[in-house]
Amino acid sequence: MFNRDFWSEIFMALRRNKLRTILTGFAISWGIFMLIILLSAGNGLKNGVTSNFADRIKNTYTIWSSSTELPYKGHKAGRFIMLNNKDVQLIESLHQVDEVSPVLSKGGTIVFGEKSRSVEMNGVKPIYKNIDGIKILEGRFINENDMKNKMKVVVLDKNSNDELLRTTGETSLIGKTVYINGLSFTVIGVSKGMAFGEMGQCYAPYSTLKIVFNVNEFYQLSFTTKGLNTENDNELFKTELKRKLAALHEFSPEDKRGVWINSQMLDSLETMRIFNTINIFIWVIGIAMLISGVVGVSNIMRITVKERTNEIGIRKALGAKPRSILLSIVMESLVITTIFGYIGMICGIGVMELVNMVLESSGNMSDSNGMSVFMNPTVDISIVISATLVLIISGVAAGFAPAWKSVKVKPIEAMNYR
Amino acid sequence: MIKLENINKTYFGAQPLHVLKGINLEVGEGELVSIMGASGSGKSTLLNILGILDNYDEGDYYLAGKLVKNLSENQAAEFRNKLIGFIFQSFNLIPFKTALENVALPLFYQGVNRKKRNTMAMEYLERFGLKEWADHYPNELSGGQKQRVSIARALVTSPKIILADEPTGALDSKTSAEVMQILRDVNATGITMVIVTHERGIANLTRKIVYLKDGVIESISENDPNKMDFTKEIK
Repeated sequence: MFNRDFWSEIFMALRRNKLRTILTGFAISWGIFMLIILLSAGNGLKNGVTSNFADRIKNTYTIWSSSTELPYKGHKAGRFIMLNNKDVQLIESLHQVDEVSPVLSKGGTIVFGEKSRSVEMNGVKPIYKNIDGIKILEGRFINENDMKNKMKVVVLDKNSNDELLRTTGETSLIGKTVYINGLSFTVIGVSKGMAFGEMGQCYAPYSTLKIVFNVNEFYQLSFTTKGLNTENDNELFKTELKRKLAALHEFSPEDKRGVWINSQMLDSLETMRIFNTINIFIWVIGIAMLISGVVGVSNIMRITVKERTNEIGIRKALGAKPRSILLSIVMESLVITTIFGYIGMICGIGVMELVNMVLESSGNMSDSNGMSVFMNPTVDISIVISATLVLIISGVAAGFAPAWKSVKVKPIEAMNYR
Repeated sequence: MIKLENINKTYFGAQPLHVLKGINLEVGEGELVSIMGASGSGKSTLLNILGILDNYDEGDYYLAGKLVKNLSENQAAEFRNKLIGFIFQSFNLIPFKTALENVALPLFYQGVNRKKRNTMAMEYLERFGLKEWADHYPNELSGGQKQRVSIARALVTSPKIILADEPTGALDSKTSAEVMQILRDVNATGITMVIVTHERGIANLTRKIVYLKDGVIESISENDPNKMDFTKEIK
């Protein structure tokens, strides 16, 4: 049945209507192509955004100070709650808490030789490197020894480092002395700098900054937890913590503000949810495109069969069996969908690989703050293949209906059809 | 070879049309029969039923001793392929196939391999003087050539019976005479032949003439074609 004659019949039929074949094929190629582009773009966005958090450990919390929204126990609304050592003690006393690092922030000016630069100094503990996912490009981060001995050491962000080094002829600041607000610090490391703002973020031991700048209150407190594995655990812990902090600072437990509590795990779950929604959206569009391709094939096959009614009638009169007519039409449709589906698949993968190559050679696409937004835009090959298979199967189904109709018609009616 | 018993056929359209009202007819092996009648007399319908291209509502149709009734599509295809050769007024050649491919097509449906198929098709084309035209498409052939191709196609499977529907209807008188001569020669080899025509001249070249009127057989007359001077009869 599937011999050379069979195939030559099919390709002859396709060649006879080049334009129609190409237009149908284009609809199919386009469907697959766009599905791949959309899915890859979605993945690229997801990979890019999640890469920003990839180095942060999940079981971390950050508390931000804020102003109250409700009056409570004689305090007026709008009171600003600062965090202090009592909060550190409270949090350290909780059995779910592992390690705590306050973040003591103060604006400062770094001077190196002739150069100076405004930065934000952050007094943190060593664990903060993991909590915030700080990448060290050169040297090291603050360690326990720095903390214990209140060493005057500093980790610069890359921008500040480069700015201070510029035109000095030096290649590295590591081990060099810089002056921060007039006090000498030794540079121990350079971080990649998750520059969320214009200002460079530099890190020094919490114990050192507390003394040299004489600050006891701070805006941010981060800590790691243990044993909080589920979303529910985290929600409960968050509520409990809020209640305790409310009691400590005398603001209403109902107050939505007062302090912000941020759970990395809940945040990333939220992020994942957003991406899942985007993903569903992309699939809906992609499938709609596939359907339009299939409808296209189905339409073309209907027209093809109609145009070939006379021919089918003649073939029947000459002894063509229904199966042979059915098969030739269905296979025609199968051949179109397979060839053009494959072309679309190859083009889609090719384009995304090209985009990926360009991205990798030029550094991943990022926004003005250095946050990656697009990275590794690829799509699971098994998804691509199954989408193509779905299209091919639909192509067969699309060809089957008109083929079946043409088989059912009486030969004389088919021959006399005009 | 052919035996019709009380064949009835009605077309159910907006206005039901009773086209065949109890046809009884026998055609023996090797006979050359023509069916005559005005348009609308049902002669084409009768031929379509004989060719299993259309079904009938009542009665029995025996072809080569087998009852042709309520056949499956597959059985009908097999009957048409093995027993019947068709010649149509409008030739019904497939336009995008060469003369050779057209003639070879029925053999394709018999599962004959390509080489043998083409050899056999070429033999038949040669027999009708079309060897040089084997690679030409139907639109490059004259009417007479086209009809000879379709006769070759009808004969290539060595059928028991040839059914011809107005075989000369689209041809001029000279070509008509040629085609009729070919058909008579074919009949002389022992193949039963039924020709539907409305031209007396054509009918006079057959041995038996069946007159059909308003869906019934009006008369059947024996005829001696050799007595007739057909060149005069065909206008």
